[in-house]
Amino acid sequence: MSLLDIADLTLSFKGLSGLTEVLHGISLSIAPGEKVALVGESGSGKSVTARIVLGLLQEQKTARIGGTVRFAGQDLAALSPRDREGLRGTEISMIFQDPTSYLNPVFTIGRQFAEVLRRRDPGLARAACEARAIEMLAETAIPDPARVLGSYPFQLSGGMNQRVMIAMALANHPRLLIADEPGTALDVTVQAQTLKLMRQLVDLHETAVLFISHNLGVVREFADRVYVIYRGRIVEDGPTAAVFGDPRHAYTQALMAAVPRITGDGLPDVPEVSEAFLAPKVHHRLRSGRAT
Amino acid sequence: MSLLSLDHLSKTFRTAGGPVHAVRDVSLEVKSGECLAIVGESGSGKTTLANMILGILAPSAGEIRFDGQALPARRTATERRRIQFVQQNPLSALNPKRSVGASIRLGLDTYRIGGRAERWPAVEAALEAVGLPGEMRHRAPAALSGGQRQRVGIARALAVEPQLIVLDEPTSALDVLVQARVLRLLDRLRRERGLTYVFITHDLAVVRNIADRIAVFRAGRLIELGETAALFNDPKTDYTRSLIGAVPVVDESELELRTRLAEGP
Repeated sequence: MSLLDIADLTLSFKGLSGLTEVLHGISLSIAPGEKVALVGESGSGKSVTARIVLGLLQEQKTARIGGTVRFAGQDLAALSPRDREGLRGTEISMIFQDPTSYLNPVFTIGRQFAEVLRRRDPGLARAACEARAIEMLAETAIPDPARVLGSYPFQLSGGMNQRVMIAMALANHPRLLIADEPGTALDVTVQAQTLKLMRQLVDLHETAVLFISHNLGVVREFADRVYVIYRGRIVEDGPTAAVFGDPRHAYTQALMAAVPRITGDGLPDVPEVSEAFLAPKVHHRLRSGRAT
Repeated sequence: MSLLSLDHLSKTFRTAGGPVHAVRDVSLEVKSGECLAIVGESGSGKTTLANMILGILAPSAGEIRFDGQALPARRTATERRRIQFVQQNPLSALNPKRSVGASIRLGLDTYRIGGRAERWPAVEAALEAVGLPGEMRHRAPAALSGGQRQRVGIARALAVEPQLIVLDEPTSALDVLVQARVLRLLDRLRRERGLTYVFITHDLAVVRNIADRIAVFRAGRLIELGETAALFNDPKTDYTRSLIGAVPVVDESELELRTRLAEGP
């Protein structure tokens, strides 16, 4: 059974000039422990999809949401706002692009960690919080975790803050981790280390991941399965190797071709927009690898 | 023929925590008509170096020569006109209250290029050179897409007919399909107009395909300089090797290159 099952999800925003349609019926599923990427350009609808799974957009008055989102068999729309909020930070957690805007600059890492742990276990004593935080930080290969707990975010490097954020996101053993462009704000060498660490930890804890990114190279290295999204529609999906090895949709093909190669194949000549990008979805089957 | 030469250039900032050596004793030549990439991670000194080339910052030591002449810290209008700048974020580079045409025209007025009557046609010609319609000059920057704004930033630099353009991460804020178009545009303009580029970026895959030579910076020092293909096939320093090794790639052939580099010399 799927851990996350999104069926025919639509989203539009009510504004002064009427309704703006953002998602036109998206279907996506993630099995327990599976790493799934949603890849697309800015404005494609990937981040709003994540916000709906987190139950955040449901609270926004201007948002019109259709279709169903089921998490562990429960329809999110059938839950009370309070129950939806209860899932965040416990069953579903999130990693953001920029750790410095996620972490609160005026509290120590230790205090913020305790706040995270007490979301699941409100009565957790200070000593127990500390012990658990040190254990999680050690898993992310942070040297001297006790010192880090006493530090403020600005006293740590960007890469270190990223590790802290990963440790916090996984501290309550969520079943689903949503990672929105993780490491994009970091240097390439730090980004590579961060992704490697994240992959090790989610494999260790068997955490499912919804990985949101515009970077095809990062997606190829991280995900088991890929959904490509263009202007609010899924245009292609399948196992990572199948989609990268044999992209069938015109948009996926353009996206792949547009990435400059380190082997120096020249500057790609691809269209910015094309009628063909609106062609029907291509689905690669899991086993045979044949597209349908 | 070298158009720009940096001779033992250094920049030290005095801070409360002691001196910060942002650029340390850098010497290099930029040849006329080439695209030289300056590559490095944050804190490598690449932006400080760009600011010195542009005359925004005065060097603490060393000399900058352009077209055979030493450039003073305080430059004349002509000296400024010949070296132009394209920034990463075109929205912060363009005045939001001016039409894009007025932003482009500002350079023509400042450097008194052409007669007054010729300047609006020159603005439209600059927009057309970057693939935008001339009538777009009436629009506000906010009404443009990211790719269009970056094209306006390029048009503004081109309009004053520079010899050298310093490009600081010109495509890293753009979507991949837009980035591909803008990179091709930059490459074509350089060839057609005999321009020289100093292309500053952290993106090695981009420079692999646009630069003639690459200068790798780390902690303010120039640690490796070479022809693009040679530098990728046989990096001389472990640092360059690790930078190439960290690039997320999409092709099997790229993976092979990365694996080979990871194994060492």
